[in-house]
Amino acid sequence: MDVFLPIAEVSVNVLAIFSLSGIVGILSGLFGVGGGFLMTPFLIFLGVPPTYAVANEANNILATSVSGSTTHYLKDTLDYKMGFMIVIGGAVGTLIGIWTFTYFKGIGKIDIVISLAYMYILAIIGTAMLVEGLGEIDKARKKITTKKKLHVHYWIHGLPLRMRFQKSKLYESAFTPIIIGLIVGFIAAIMGIGGAFILVPAMIYIIGMPTKLIPGTSLFVTIFVSIIVTFLHAFNYGSIDLILVFMLVTGSIIGVQCGQKLGESVDSTGLKTLLAVLLLVVGIAIAYDTFFAEHTVQEITKIDKNDLNPLSMFIKRISVEVPILYGLFSIVFAVILGVAAAFIRRFFSNLRKKYFKKIT
Amino acid sequence: MPDLIKNLPSEIKKNKLKTSIFIGLSAYWGIILIGTLLSIN
Repeated sequence: MDVFLPIAEVSVNVLAIFSLSGIVGILSGLFGVGGGFLMTPFLIFLGVPPTYAVANEANNILATSVSGSTTHYLKDTLDYKMGFMIVIGGAVGTLIGIWTFTYFKGIGKIDIVISLAYMYILAIIGTAMLVEGLGEIDKARKKITTKKKLHVHYWIHGLPLRMRFQKSKLYESAFTPIIIGLIVGFIAAIMGIGGAFILVPAMIYIIGMPTKLIPGTSLFVTIFVSIIVTFLHAFNYGSIDLILVFMLVTGSIIGVQCGQKLGESVDSTGLKTLLAVLLLVVGIAIAYDTFFAEHTVQEITKIDKNDLNPLSMFIKRISVEVPILYGLFSIVFAVILGVAAAFIRRFFSNLRKKYFKKIT
Repeated sequence: MPDLIKNLPSEIKKNKLKTSIFIGLSAYWGIILIGTLLSIN
């Protein structure tokens, strides 16, 4: 069953989008990663142009991070002060990222830049995860236990403007989270990802935050970064397609819940190696598509405005006539979907508790 | 280090999985690096 996306101007298979976003959602829930670095390449493979894939995945990440962050807000596992410091850097990084995106779009090289960026990111994460996963399996087999240092000092810790972060029990330079946010924001703007795979290790090994505060704070930062990315993409290029966003959000939110449940019952050490292999396979597929596949010129069939259904016509009209309002609407739309998912999950969780109480 | 080089064939025989992963990763990185250079030129 194909559906026409009015903004991206391509037809996509609804079932493929739902199932792929569901699978990526399961992986996200299972491994605690955002999943943007898998979903954007999948969208590109499904025929969505890279410029649109990046923007719409950023909007999808906004919904899923709002959903996850609401849960952490209710549990009080969030360091707002640290989060805001990272967001300051993230905002600047996003602006630089959008400027870079505009530059490469202007010279007609944006598609190759996005493909290359994905290839290298997937290669780096895949290699690191594969080495770590194999090492863990090796250690478990040989029953080796290694003592790790509590906190390693880098040059970044010697920066001025030190301040106290009560919640994380840290006394650190404000520049440390700002620099980390800057890098995350820049990558998020170009690649349409949340950046959790950089943020989480940086929070553990560079900032030295307590583990229980990391997922909530990371999601909190992702909300702001993806809001800026979504808004700037909507305003500058009008590339947010609400129909695609709705399909992505629905699939990934259901997938994330299933993945989190699955993660409670399976050991993820062996699965981590499998995920690493999957990342490398996706990376090689992008490499093949970029370097070796013959690119045929796609025949563009101009669709008459009157052929679109009323919803598609409405979306197309407001995206062109009022881009600021459209950008704000896409953000609010994703936030509402995310909060609704968190409350639906809470409702079902309470229902299950009530049901089990009755049984016992 | 020289000992490691001398014992390399036996090490390879012992760790077939690790060797194949190392070769696979080297090939992977080789392809993307060469591909990048070619596409830039």
